[in-house]
Amino acid sequence: MEAVLIECVQNSLRHLLYRNAIFMCERLCSEFPSETNLQLLAACYLQSNQAYSAYHILKGTQLPQSRYLFAISCYQMDLLNEAEMALCPSNEPMAEVPNGAAGHYLLGLIYRYTDRLKIAAHQFNQALSLDPLLWAAYEELCRLGAAGEATTVFGESASECIQKQYMSHHDAGPQLQASSDDHNAVSGRQQMADNVSTRQLRHLNANNIKDNSLNHNGAVFSGSTAASQPSNSVHSNISFYNTPSPMATQLSGVAPPPLCRNVIPNGQLSSSVSADVSPRSTVKSTLQPPRRKFVDEGKLRKISGRLFSDSGPRRSTRLAGEGGPATNTSGVPVNVGNGTTHSSKYPTSSKLGSSTSRSVTVKKGQSLPTETVNEVVDDSRLNTVATTSGSSQSFDTRSCEHDGSMSRASTSVSKVANGALEVLSLLKILGEGYRLSCLYRCKDALDVFLQLPLKHYNTSWVLSQVGKAHFELVDYIEAERAFRGARLASPYSLEGMDIYSTVLYHLKEDMKLSYLAQELISTDRLAPQSWCAMGNCYSMQKDHETALKNFQRAVQLNSRFTYAHTLCGHEYVALEDYENGIKSYQNALQIDTRHYNAWYGLAMIYLRQEKYEFSEHHFRKALNINPCSSVIMSYLGTSLHALKRNEEALAVMEKAIIADKKNPLPMYQKANILVSLEDFDGALAVLEELKEYAPRESSVYALMGKIYKRRLMYDKAMLHFDLALDLKPSATDVATIKAAMEKLHVPDELEDSI
Amino acid sequence: MATESSEGEEETKLMGGNPQLVVDGDLREMAKNAAWSVSSCKPGNGVSALRDDNYETYWQSDGAQPHLVNIQFQKKVKLQLVALYVDFNLDESYTPSKISIRAGDGFHNLKEIKTVELVKPTGWVYISLSGNDPREAFVNTFMLQIGVLSNHLNGRDTHVRQIKVYGPQPNPIPLQPFQFTSTEFITYSILR
Repeated sequence: MEAVLIECVQNSLRHLLYRNAIFMCERLCSEFPSETNLQLLAACYLQSNQAYSAYHILKGTQLPQSRYLFAISCYQMDLLNEAEMALCPSNEPMAEVPNGAAGHYLLGLIYRYTDRLKIAAHQFNQALSLDPLLWAAYEELCRLGAAGEATTVFGESASECIQKQYMSHHDAGPQLQASSDDHNAVSGRQQMADNVSTRQLRHLNANNIKDNSLNHNGAVFSGSTAASQPSNSVHSNISFYNTPSPMATQLSGVAPPPLCRNVIPNGQLSSSVSADVSPRSTVKSTLQPPRRKFVDEGKLRKISGRLFSDSGPRRSTRLAGEGGPATNTSGVPVNVGNGTTHSSKYPTSSKLGSSTSRSVTVKKGQSLPTETVNEVVDDSRLNTVATTSGSSQSFDTRSCEHDGSMSRASTSVSKVANGALEVLSLLKILGEGYRLSCLYRCKDALDVFLQLPLKHYNTSWVLSQVGKAHFELVDYIEAERAFRGARLASPYSLEGMDIYSTVLYHLKEDMKLSYLAQELISTDRLAPQSWCAMGNCYSMQKDHETALKNFQRAVQLNSRFTYAHTLCGHEYVALEDYENGIKSYQNALQIDTRHYNAWYGLAMIYLRQEKYEFSEHHFRKALNINPCSSVIMSYLGTSLHALKRNEEALAVMEKAIIADKKNPLPMYQKANILVSLEDFDGALAVLEELKEYAPRESSVYALMGKIYKRRLMYDKAMLHFDLALDLKPSATDVATIKAAMEKLHVPDELEDSI
Repeated sequence: MATESSEGEEETKLMGGNPQLVVDGDLREMAKNAAWSVSSCKPGNGVSALRDDNYETYWQSDGAQPHLVNIQFQKKVKLQLVALYVDFNLDESYTPSKISIRAGDGFHNLKEIKTVELVKPTGWVYISLSGNDPREAFVNTFMLQIGVLSNHLNGRDTHVRQIKVYGPQPNPIPLQPFQFTSTEFITYSILR
């Protein structure tokens, strides 16, 4: 009854029928109370968003999986202390974290949200070393600013790790068997040296060659009896290989390598073998594809397999496509599969086989999976085989066989290896791009993302990252383009849409922004990004109170969404409620210390409150995190100027000007500072240059007018004041400028407005 | 120091009134953090009724004329506009008629800057504080006093339903001599 119930529960879970799963699982737990069943019930609860239920039933359990599930439910209920206790019991400091990579990742998250960033990074690194495909861990590392370079993280060791995982997950047995197979084959070979005649060898070779459908290879052996037989035997081999199990029994203890074994089951006659082989063909074909897959694991196989594998995988796929061994060409994969499966039957150490294959491989050199390489390899192998004496032949055969079996295994192994390498190469680019954009090296990040193949580049995640990078570079038009592409690619995705709304806010595109906000809210009313977009919409219309309400809603929906806190802070500042603004920014910084916008916000508040030292400190902190932002640099310069540290201020302004040529503000501020230092000529020069960049900025002309007035060049002053007025400055400035114009001939000291 | 308006002695007649409050975008309500007080009031109709955004509640004075509303700011502010919500249809003899606006540093040196006469107002009435001179667009002051000198139909006490005081929008970017007008400057001037 227990098994039936468990099957039912898992079936329901598979079909996402949570109510059914929970009900049946509760019956299961009451009928057969055991911790494993409790784990299943907790899993049902967690999948249907009832973390509290899972929390209660798993409280106090000790099995690793239970502790892991308990930790997840605590984490979802925001009970971070208990989650940490579950994963890392304090009375067992050396206990292993349950569930390996996943456990380390969860532990890392807990440490991060309880402000222990160094250990968090350590945990994420451990998670990654256990499972290199745990992208989320790498993402968190990037956000903490502690990520290693993507090429090392997703490099060779990672690929080995993945294959090991694959192997251990899918095929613990076959692997061992394969190795033992080879071993047996090797030992058997020695015993059956005579049995392992050249004929067998030829068979083997012919089979292999034929399988590889290398005409010239076939031609070499065409003369031999083996040639004719191989065709048969190939057939039989193919069919034979389809059902490894029967073969296994036959082959146990038989010296000849799998190939030959198939050909020569108990005896040494290929004919008999083929005879025996034929009936099995049908049975085996069905089993073949999955076996092949199992065999694929095994890094060991991979190397030897390379020799034969190039034809192997291709053939395998063809074989799979054809649905079974039909032709000679398809024979190789079949053989490979069979060989591997067969090898799996023999629980001997694979090391011997692998070493042989390795040696063979080494002899042949590193072969890339190409047909030609195979041919070369086969050719050389044939040559070696042909030329060596009996013993060596047997050795070679054996190695060939090993290689054959290995290649069988390795085709699947190499397939996994190839797959792993491809995944890792993709992750390398994505990881490097994300890491650079988190370090705010935006131009480099953009270059890295451009290396992606087009089909990956045009996805919403990548385009959002690209948009974010442009946003950080203050290139709002490009950012808008990228985000638009992201929306086209995935209209339902909310990732990065809060930044998109800010971009539209900067570009003052109220239609697009309100449309975006409406769309996001209709997609998901419970996502913080939608309410951030809505808030930005109201803020653009200067309705700061409603904007604040929207941002507070976003905070309520997800209090760990840093940007919502920062936006709340911005709105408080706009409403001149500096206390609450400071609180909001500090909340944002508690969640993510590297959120430089919050540092900037705090610094701006202190600047307004005229606490210049505080503002300088906070601007510097922001600049530490994002060292290329010319806006932060120009404000740092302004604070330094207010602190009367004018040399430093000018130096920072120079840096800002160089950092971003398109930003006119540092130049304007530089002119301001020069005016206060009474370097009027310098200021005028800078402003003249600025006129080229921003010809319609009234404050430039107003400042120039002011300078000319100080220099007593009244005509020029009037001219510039007029120009400034033409450009429609704000009411205050109009008053100021007009007052300055009226009292042109009155020295500045007597005025209090300018 | 309060800047004086050159036409402080003239009177202006204001008629009608706007049921809706319509103010320029570049003006900002300035008196949220100011200290409001009145010369006298009837219990239940105190000074808070002037700031509650509710047209139903009103301040009712209870003493001798002139009735005064005092607004004191924490620092010198630039003021441009005073808006009053009064309704002759509802209040009749309680409706203010002559209003005098004074500014200064404190109670000791208030100087009259504007006088207006209302004629049967029914809604929002706007009283601009600017002088003719563009240089005198604002009144820069610590304190504003709105005095009701007389009512319609010679009523003794007065009803005022709402008062709002406006000044210019401050420079969004601190420590700047002038505000920015062009998009390039504005885009680069803030981070969000």
